[in-house]
Amino acid sequence: MPLFEEDPAHLSKSRLKSDLVAHSVALPPAQSKKDVYVELHLKHIDQKNAADFSSDEEDQVRDVADKEEDAEDAEIPDPSGLTDDDLKAALLEHGFKAGPIVASTRAVYEKKLRKLLQPDGQDHLNGAEKGVVYSDSEEEDEEEEEGSQGAKEETVERSDQTQQESSQLSQEPVKDTFKDMFPDTQATPTGIHATRRKPIKGAAGRPIQYVYPDTPASPTTQERRAVERRLVPIQIQILVFLIVVVLLYLIYACVEDNSFSPFVALLESLNQGSDGEEGLLLPAETQDTPALSGQE
Amino acid sequence: MSSTSQKHKDFVAEPMGEKSVMALAGIGEVLGKRLEEKGFDKAYVVLGQFLVLKKDEELFRDWLKDTCGANVKQQGDCYGCLKEWCDSFL
Repeated sequence: MPLFEEDPAHLSKSRLKSDLVAHSVALPPAQSKKDVYVELHLKHIDQKNAADFSSDEEDQVRDVADKEEDAEDAEIPDPSGLTDDDLKAALLEHGFKAGPIVASTRAVYEKKLRKLLQPDGQDHLNGAEKGVVYSDSEEEDEEEEEGSQGAKEETVERSDQTQQESSQLSQEPVKDTFKDMFPDTQATPTGIHATRRKPIKGAAGRPIQYVYPDTPASPTTQERRAVERRLVPIQIQILVFLIVVVLLYLIYACVEDNSFSPFVALLESLNQGSDGEEGLLLPAETQDTPALSGQE
Repeated sequence: MSSTSQKHKDFVAEPMGEKSVMALAGIGEVLGKRLEEKGFDKAYVVLGQFLVLKKDEELFRDWLKDTCGANVKQQGDCYGCLKEWCDSFL
């Protein structure tokens, strides 16, 4: 971005100062000269700027004259030149309700506005689709289906495109058809809607509510819900267990008393029978052999 | 994303107190170092940023990527654990 190449020496002192603050660089003593600031700026910020950190997150300075040099988007007003309030208003114009714009969030919102301002209509389908990847709310899915044709094919490739998606996440300008269809919903580029806060129980004995019907449930809450659905009250579990134990015991007792005894008796009698036959046969043999030997 | 990591469970189980930024799911040693360099040394500082972005997933992901170069999975883990923490403790 040409913005980063602007010479810090041309910047105003207060701007330099806030730049340094924004990049968490320790400030020199209050009475130091501008050169000191410029030096610090060159040393810390210009090195650090790896194309993704805007060098002007400051809010106090509206040094629009400096911004003239950057021809980045001539027709698009540069978000970094806006005041906090203007930035917020600009975002609102594009259907995005911004939170507080402070030093640490300004860069994020500027980026957001740049994305919203990007005029290419091709990407916004992508962006919309990607926005849904992380939210499984049904309502949003519907909206996406109606709002974007041909987004279906992309769903298949979703997983491979994880790298890309973050960059495309929000390049979707507000759709008028969307607004027509859902006049009540506030149009947001990603299809993520702010939901109202529900009473919950938590740490200090407050009511716990694991289920947030409006918000996409996280995997854990879904798991938890599934477990809760499966659970049977513990008393019933114990009761069933006891019944089963008693039944098993009864069966065991009956079997031991009656049903097996005939078999056992039969087996015993069989054993005895065979023993008796053997006993009868053996003497006959022993009698035969001496007779034979005697004949020889 | 079918199951959550042990780190996530540990973080979500209790108030974060003075836990370091590396206790956040998705933030390892490398990202933790980078965040610390930018002044985000404790988990609650990141929580502050998360809240000031109004718990917006996309903005938070963008911010995390810009600040420490987190990849999509790391962004998702970190967002998920802060979100869940807020749901139970905020």
